[in-house]
Amino acid sequence: MKSGSNTVSAVKAASLAAPTQGVRRDKAPIDWIGYVFVAFFALPFLLFNILPVLFGAFVAFTEWRIIGTPEWIGLENFADAIGDEWVWLAFRNVVFYALIIVPGVTILGLVFALFVNQGYPLSGLARTLFFAPNVVSATVIGLVWVWILDTQYGLLNNVLAQIGIGAIPWLTSVDWALIGVSIASIWWDLGLAFVLILAALQDIPKDLIEAARADGAGPLSRLRFVTLPHLRPVLSMVVTLQLISTLRIFSQVYVMTNGGPAGSSSSPIHYMYTVAIVRNLYGYASAIAMLLFVVILGVTVVQRFVLRETQ
Amino acid sequence: MTAKDNTASKPARLALTRRRLLATTGAAAATGLAAPFLGAGRAFAQKPIEIVHWSWLAASDGEVWGKMIDAFNEAHKEQNVQIRLELVPEEQYVTKVLAATATGRAPDFGWGTAGKGASLAKDGVTVPRDDLIAEAGLEIGDFSESSVSASRYPKYGNKMYMVPMDLMSLQPEINLDHVAEAGLNADQPPQNGDELIEWAQKMTKRDGDTITRSGILMTGSGVQPTVTWGIIAAQMGFQRASEDYKTAAVNPDKGIAAMQWVLDLFDEYKVSTRDVTDRYKAFGTGNGSIFWTGPWTLNGYVGQGLNFMTAEFPNVGGQKKTYFEMGGLELYTQRDTDRYIATAKAVKWLSDNSFLWTTVGRGATPRLSILERPDYESAGHPWKVRGAFVEGMEFATIYEIPVVAGPEFTIYSGGNFLARTLEGVWAKTKTPQDAMAELKKGWQEMLDDD
Repeated sequence: MKSGSNTVSAVKAASLAAPTQGVRRDKAPIDWIGYVFVAFFALPFLLFNILPVLFGAFVAFTEWRIIGTPEWIGLENFADAIGDEWVWLAFRNVVFYALIIVPGVTILGLVFALFVNQGYPLSGLARTLFFAPNVVSATVIGLVWVWILDTQYGLLNNVLAQIGIGAIPWLTSVDWALIGVSIASIWWDLGLAFVLILAALQDIPKDLIEAARADGAGPLSRLRFVTLPHLRPVLSMVVTLQLISTLRIFSQVYVMTNGGPAGSSSSPIHYMYTVAIVRNLYGYASAIAMLLFVVILGVTVVQRFVLRETQ
Repeated sequence: MTAKDNTASKPARLALTRRRLLATTGAAAATGLAAPFLGAGRAFAQKPIEIVHWSWLAASDGEVWGKMIDAFNEAHKEQNVQIRLELVPEEQYVTKVLAATATGRAPDFGWGTAGKGASLAKDGVTVPRDDLIAEAGLEIGDFSESSVSASRYPKYGNKMYMVPMDLMSLQPEINLDHVAEAGLNADQPPQNGDELIEWAQKMTKRDGDTITRSGILMTGSGVQPTVTWGIIAAQMGFQRASEDYKTAAVNPDKGIAAMQWVLDLFDEYKVSTRDVTDRYKAFGTGNGSIFWTGPWTLNGYVGQGLNFMTAEFPNVGGQKKTYFEMGGLELYTQRDTDRYIATAKAVKWLSDNSFLWTTVGRGATPRLSILERPDYESAGHPWKVRGAFVEGMEFATIYEIPVVAGPEFTIYSGGNFLARTLEGVWAKTKTPQDAMAELKKGWQEMLDDD
């Protein structure tokens, strides 16, 4: 009771004081030091992120070769991009990348997290090993996987040969190159998904699992009716992050196949790089970037809608 | 003691107030900004002339080039002139030069490839150097005629835009262990298409249908099939552009026939496999027997002790021709034009002293005075690996197309318009006829826009 009456008094006091404080706040000088602290981040962010994005959007409507003034050509770059079979191929490829990599990373991340969460012996080591590829640069990952996936002398084909499977042209065939790059990407991206899911798993109250077990739920039922519903937010986040990451796939493609053969493993960013850096067509490359931006935005909105929390 | 007590007991001068923080930060920033200028007079007085040089040479040829720059710096210690060498990835080279020039911070000079810099010449990024060459004391008459001609852009003033440094061609390097194993005579390398295929078939190794060692080392995409097509097509009579650079794809049927010849290496003669991912490594590790490449590979292969020789490119299509490439040094536009003459003199020194570069580093010398030296043949790498790259320059006549869109025409590329168009042919997702129609249309538009 004493505590309750104190609270009431405090609220009354606050309500009486409120108008006075409001007036004082309105008249107080602006606290510029706050802006100074924010500026340490905000200025570089505006200068090196926002400004280039806006400039890129402008360049998309121009013909520009760095030297000289951009020449306004309206929607010509966009029309060219829409009529460019290599753009379509790159976007088609990235859809396939997403269909392979996103489920691959999410499912394997979940499986590995469930495994480590069991607390078996050496699970600490397993946790480190599963996360380790994520801290290695994409270039190194690419180079290592080029060796592993080499058709003639690669480790993977050697292993497959032991069980009677013939050499698969992982990186040199139009049918396999995209899959080869995807395998390396899954291995690389798995770590982050694994850690996020593991953290979420460890947040599930043990009581719930025990209660389900006491009610006779088997492992699969516990996974389906207790664990997965609790993981829904983190799985949604993993899928979103992975999808955005996959739509921007570049380094692995560049290092492992350079988009070939015949563009079968190219991606929008890789094609954009070729157009801008190799061919110096910056306006055209910016137009492709804008198209990719629209696609990523659209996919993300749709995905957030599909995976939204429901009552 | 409470936390409040603890705080109160600290000396007042150590308390970090907002004002003190701002004052300290401002002072530190001001000191940092001013630091470079403290004692500037003394530093400037002793500062040597620093010539900034960009290079993309990062392989074994880069080591030799580094020695050339070191030698220059050593020789010019007394004069206080030094070259600062900076490595830039080849693929990004032009972009970075453009960006640096646009911001007024272009390097003084850098590597260029003859015929590929028309856009730089047109945009004024590279400096026409006829006057500078004369002022620096370089004798144009000492350069081979073809090298001087390749340094010019007829459409853009026809002035020299680079000092030629070395002449390169594509010639077949042949693994001598494989030659001996196949019972072939290394003294009589293949001279025509039939002999080439015969040699390749004898040196190819297969495991069932799988080629485990390529008689002719190819890749399924990228540079190797593209440049092979380019050479064979030119030998057959195909021209990427007419002599006046107005008509694209002259004699398209010959180009189509050359595509078929390349396809036959994989599918008909079965002497090549599309499954090679790294052609340089594959030849170095003995997984290929005949590999047409450039002299930039010599330093590496000789260094690793590979037993090989170099032969002249066989006449497969009717006219003996191979790919020509010339490396040279370009001067880039500077705000401070006084720098040009110092740079031109540095380039002259590098050219005059390019004996090491053209015997060990990369291609044949364009300097007649160096070529005539009695020790030119005996110096550097053994003649059996270097000779074809020197003597073969005689028929290295497949030049670049010196127009703004030149890089889209070059046959030595893995990602330009030509290479991307042909990739479908090598992967058998496009017919040679369709590819040629695309090439003709695309190239013609580029020539029309030029």
